[in-house]
Amino acid sequence: MPVPFIMPKVDMDQEKATIVSWNRHNGDFVKQEETVLVVETEKVAIDVTAPATGTLAGIRFQPGDVVPVTTVIAYILKEGETLKDLPAAATAQATPAPAPLPAPQAPVQPSPVSAVAATPIAARMAREYNLDLAQVPAAGERITREDVERYLASRSTPARVPAPAAIPGQAPAGKIAATPAARRLAREQDVPLEGLKGSGPRGRIQAADVVALPRPVLAAPGERQAQVFPLAGMRQKIADRMQASFQDSPHISLTVEADVTRLEEARQHMNTLAARAGQGKVSLTACLVKVIAWALERNPYLNASLVDGQIFLWKDVNIGVATALEDGLIVPVIQGVGGLSIRQIADKLVDLSTRARENKLTLSDVQRGTFTVSNLGMFGIRQFRAVINPPESAILAVGAVVRKPVVVDEQDTIAVRPILSLTLAADHRVIDGVVAARFLADLVEGIEFPETLLY
Amino acid sequence: MPEITYLEAIRQALWEEMKRDERVFIIGEDIGRYGGAFGVTHGMLDEFGPERIRETPISEPTIIAAAIGAALVGMRPVAEIMFMDFTLLTLDQIANQAAKMHYMFGGKATVPMVIRMPSGSGTGAAAQHSQSLETLLMHLPGLKVIVPSTPYDAKGLLLTAIRDPNPVCFIEHKLLYKSKGDVPEGEYSLPFGVADVKRTGKDLTVVTNGMMLTKTLNVVNKLTGEGMDIEVIDPRTLVPLDRETIINSVCKTGKLLVIHEACYTAGWAGEIIATVTGSRAFDYLDAPARRLTGKDCPIPYNRGLERAAVPQEEDIEAEIRSILQGVY
Repeated sequence: MPVPFIMPKVDMDQEKATIVSWNRHNGDFVKQEETVLVVETEKVAIDVTAPATGTLAGIRFQPGDVVPVTTVIAYILKEGETLKDLPAAATAQATPAPAPLPAPQAPVQPSPVSAVAATPIAARMAREYNLDLAQVPAAGERITREDVERYLASRSTPARVPAPAAIPGQAPAGKIAATPAARRLAREQDVPLEGLKGSGPRGRIQAADVVALPRPVLAAPGERQAQVFPLAGMRQKIADRMQASFQDSPHISLTVEADVTRLEEARQHMNTLAARAGQGKVSLTACLVKVIAWALERNPYLNASLVDGQIFLWKDVNIGVATALEDGLIVPVIQGVGGLSIRQIADKLVDLSTRARENKLTLSDVQRGTFTVSNLGMFGIRQFRAVINPPESAILAVGAVVRKPVVVDEQDTIAVRPILSLTLAADHRVIDGVVAARFLADLVEGIEFPETLLY
Repeated sequence: MPEITYLEAIRQALWEEMKRDERVFIIGEDIGRYGGAFGVTHGMLDEFGPERIRETPISEPTIIAAAIGAALVGMRPVAEIMFMDFTLLTLDQIANQAAKMHYMFGGKATVPMVIRMPSGSGTGAAAQHSQSLETLLMHLPGLKVIVPSTPYDAKGLLLTAIRDPNPVCFIEHKLLYKSKGDVPEGEYSLPFGVADVKRTGKDLTVVTNGMMLTKTLNVVNKLTGEGMDIEVIDPRTLVPLDRETIINSVCKTGKLLVIHEACYTAGWAGEIIATVTGSRAFDYLDAPARRLTGKDCPIPYNRGLERAAVPQEEDIEAEIRSILQGVY
């Protein structure tokens, strides 16, 4: 019997797809798993492969047609078969080709239970795999589990994925888990639940989560208007930590400038290599993290924590990079920077900042930092002081690279050079001014003469 | 106000009503010289005589059927079933006769009777003498189902029950008989269908009654010290049920826990929860409505197993904590 060729369903929420092109045509011999046509969903273009080996026949839709998933779009004929071999039920579908969407949907799919005799197991499998039982060829009088399994095996790969069963205890995809009270409050205050973070079990949005949202406060006439945010969540955490840091650590700060001409040259070269290898670009931050790690190894007191009256000089160098989020700040940490190449650091930076913005960092991504870098150069900030990220002892604030005239030799020659301003904030309980200065001197040397790192 | 036991409060109500109204009489097993299985009618035989303290053979259908007949001809019987479990023997009399006559005779006949029945586990009386069957009775239209939880409520509600023109099931938890509380001397009645808010709170509504109320209040007193603010509601009468008080409370707290000793499946906790979720309180729920109940098993004779079969204070505490912490 001819094998029906259906429009596959590749996305959970996909209802239809547009036919882009047929790579094979009526009468062509096709092999199972061979790409026969290209379709396009709302998200991507997909190669659709043949469900079986045989002759392609009865193509019912043309490029540009929008076809609901699981609709039969063609048939594969085995040797000696013609379209006349289609079972009666399918023939009605096979000819003539129904009008594609958005015209009335032609393939009225018979309900599996009423129209097609199938065993309960087969019916259940059809539901799970989102199959139209009418399209499953039956070996006997009724469709059995074996028939469904055979049919599934004959189908193209993407459609074989069973519709995901709801995960127990979790809201189905696309649904927002929120308590009735949270929904009512959201309705009353006219705020969307989408994107809200839930504090309840399994991330369910509670009434308190909606209450915590900023909302216009109705002020009495003459009173000052304001949006009122409770200090909560990440904001609370930042507030507590920064307050504690400023209270506990006497901050000293020292600023230096470094000429990044040669570091930038090196970076340009690395980016040429990266382009050739098809890799991502190397950021200035990645280069700086490498030099900082080198300077930290030479100045262990900058890579230290003061905890309960004891100074820990950490053997590993784990550098956190302050990353701005829409509603706060997080410091993902690159672990063991000493052993990493600039390439590896660059990749880790991209990975960490991407996941930070998607709120997908794990605990281990933000733990065990020994030093933090904060870069506001992209905003044109030339110089700023940062607050130490406890229990670390120092933080480096990186400004913008500014092209400016500087004296470049003993003869007082003035030239325009890219200059980077770096400001270190250090905990004076652990780090004296001279120790901080030595670290900065090493850092400048590493930046201005990158080959020093190889020495 | 004198402090007396729950048992004495019931006896006071019976005594005062029998003094007030000569149509009131008591019928049951061993209620005369012996004073009843739990001693409720102690001394009443001497006061009122065998005509009004009527002892019967060991036949519960006889007790109920005789009481129905007496009620139909104008008496005000108070029937005592020694253990609630034996009510099952009399379900035809109670359900098909007593509960329906007022309706089926179009109000021309009424059955003003009270059936007192001790319920509950905790006395080592095993599976046939320890049940909490109030849900069975709640399901029979025409019956009122009263569960007093304190001596004060017991007296006031029993007075109302005796004066009610319809059959009233009056369920007394065995372990409460010796509990004490302030009870006014002289007559006072408490209306049916009015719940008692035992304490107000804003974090969680707990609906419970009988012995479970005592346990719950002990737990809540402890948790209040930890800053939990729990509202405890005793419905007092399950039929008629004061739904509004419960709905209002859940609108305030957003969380509901119903505790009863009766078994889990089809227990009245489901009725309360359905009442709440089907009302305007639905939009105020900030956690799944929960129930803590006896297990779906016969009450074991073994003391440890008997404890395990119904909620104990530690179970109530754990359940309240988990609701308030969002762990369930």
